[in-house]
Amino acid sequence: MYRYDTIDKEFVADRANEFREQVGRRLAGEITEEQFKPIRLMNGLYLQLHAYMLRISIPYGTLNAAKLRKLAWIAKTYDRGYGHFTTRTNLQLHWIKLKDAPDILEHLAEVEMHAMQTSGNCIRNITADPYAGATSDELDDPRVWSEAIRQWATLHPEFSFLPRKFKIAVSASAKDRTATRIYDIGLAMRRGRNGELGFEVMVGGGLGRTPYLSHTIREFLPTRRLLSYLEAILRVYNRHGRRDNPWKARIKILVNQLGAEEFARQVEEEWAKSDHELVDLPDIELARIRGHFAKSFETLPARSEAFEAAKAADPEFARWTRHNLHPHKAPGYAIVDVSLKTPGLTPGDASSEQMELVADLAERYSLDEARVNYQQNLILPHVKLEDVPAVWRELKAAGLATPNIDLVTDIIACPGLDYCTLANARAIPIAQQIAERFADDEKAEEIGELKIKISGCINACGHHHVGHIGILGVDKKGEEFYQVTLGGSGAEDAALGTILGPALPYEKVAEAVEQLVEVYLRERKDGERFLDTFRRTGVAPFKEAVYADVH
Amino acid sequence: MKGLTANRLIDGEVVFWNAGEWVERFADIEMFEDAAAAEAAEAHAKAQPTVVVDPYLMDLVEIDGVWIPVAYRDRLRALGPTNHLQHGKQAEGGKVVETLQHAHTAARSTGRINLIKRK
Repeated sequence: MYRYDTIDKEFVADRANEFREQVGRRLAGEITEEQFKPIRLMNGLYLQLHAYMLRISIPYGTLNAAKLRKLAWIAKTYDRGYGHFTTRTNLQLHWIKLKDAPDILEHLAEVEMHAMQTSGNCIRNITADPYAGATSDELDDPRVWSEAIRQWATLHPEFSFLPRKFKIAVSASAKDRTATRIYDIGLAMRRGRNGELGFEVMVGGGLGRTPYLSHTIREFLPTRRLLSYLEAILRVYNRHGRRDNPWKARIKILVNQLGAEEFARQVEEEWAKSDHELVDLPDIELARIRGHFAKSFETLPARSEAFEAAKAADPEFARWTRHNLHPHKAPGYAIVDVSLKTPGLTPGDASSEQMELVADLAERYSLDEARVNYQQNLILPHVKLEDVPAVWRELKAAGLATPNIDLVTDIIACPGLDYCTLANARAIPIAQQIAERFADDEKAEEIGELKIKISGCINACGHHHVGHIGILGVDKKGEEFYQVTLGGSGAEDAALGTILGPALPYEKVAEAVEQLVEVYLRERKDGERFLDTFRRTGVAPFKEAVYADVH
Repeated sequence: MKGLTANRLIDGEVVFWNAGEWVERFADIEMFEDAAAAEAAEAHAKAQPTVVVDPYLMDLVEIDGVWIPVAYRDRLRALGPTNHLQHGKQAEGGKVVETLQHAHTAARSTGRINLIKRK
């Protein structure tokens, strides 16, 4: 894990002190709310329905035990004992008091954390493959590049007042676990003909009211040129991105108005003008960053007899391993997905006690690492196979062993109208109702991979556009209604969903999802996922099932 | 009928206006039949920038003999989140809270756009 140097530490501590002063001035009436609001937002502090909300940055979703324990302690001390992990791999605390915020930032600084750039029109927290450094299918550790971008982008004076917020995702595997195609910039590592590593650079993805998948503007950018090329993209956007209309200010609008080819031409022209050596990191610095992520694994046999015996002895454990365990690059190790999607509870929420437990497990069993992914789950990336049964028992005792990764109950949901000022409708209770209908593990397993994503408004924090089943809360004359889309995907087969039909009332949504699943089970052919069946049959049979009683 | 609400600056708590004071329970809100009186209270609230943030008048509607906010968003502000019934003002219970929780009719999002802009 990357560790702050002295400069980083002093800077983050200074920033917390600065915010203390600013809060003091606001409370004393020396600055107005209008003056204060951009300051608090730059420190991740929003005012929401019931209280202030603090969005804490978790760079590329990577945590260690000390950080996770601190988050648990902050949630217990200053909030209501729980936190909400988001689709941007950050943590939101929804019951924060303004007067406590400076203290919280100070506590975060003690463990090399902060809440900067989790809001505002700047480069936001970088997202990376949550299996980075653990999965066997990666070309390189994407966190090295994510950290380089983080350092470059943090308080970058030229890019602190962009036309709109800006999000970057980095992947280094063929399997896309970061939803790179819906990012302002998605970077997917590729190997060039001569063996050199580079990035496919994709620009202009995004959801919201005008959803787009990104366009590839460069098939292969040598990794060592990453920062200068990003600078060129940001410069073109900063120059031409619209500032007159927030709904048209994201880079996706610019890219699609200019056309990807013309946008790419302008980026190349801009890039040609810059002195790359001044921007791109020297090898020595990259090596320093890389050193922080190096892990040494024990030499173990690929098969653990203890693990196999535990599977054979306990079908419940065996089921969990089928869904929540993924292959590790080191023999004898596994990646453990910790589901925060217990049916009936709030997707992405973890109590302080649960966070503390995962921190303990990370320290004892996962080389002091835990991750957050955009599906709002946690990950223990480096667990020895022989330790997996013990890890599972402890997770189970804490209500964290739901065997449902990528299944119908592994639902993404934003906080929605229960907390968020922007929302039109609630997302959490819809997720709870759907999950309860599929709470039978056997049934969920039979259905197989099915990604349901719910947003409480068109801003799409719940990624509904790219759900196999997407659900969007809308406001119809003051009542909560929900528009359903089918066939979206945020993975390597990325697609935007197709609208099923007229929006459904609150009471009808879970039933409709059940009807959609029934159609899938009826229509599916061997080995087809829900998404495959939908792509083969089209929307018609699904539409017919849900709206049959309307005709 | 209208009522005046805001978030308290120091902690973000949802508060309601009653005869020159800010109170935390929606059941204690002052109701204005007279538009001029409501606007005067709002002006007074806006002159307290170190006490509250974004005061605004919300429409109220009578349901089962209890006046409650018209907008669903304002009902949630007066209650708390529906996924944690032990959090927020709803934890206290009482007739007004129950009416708010069970009122399904006549919700609309008056003033929402302005609210979003303010936040």
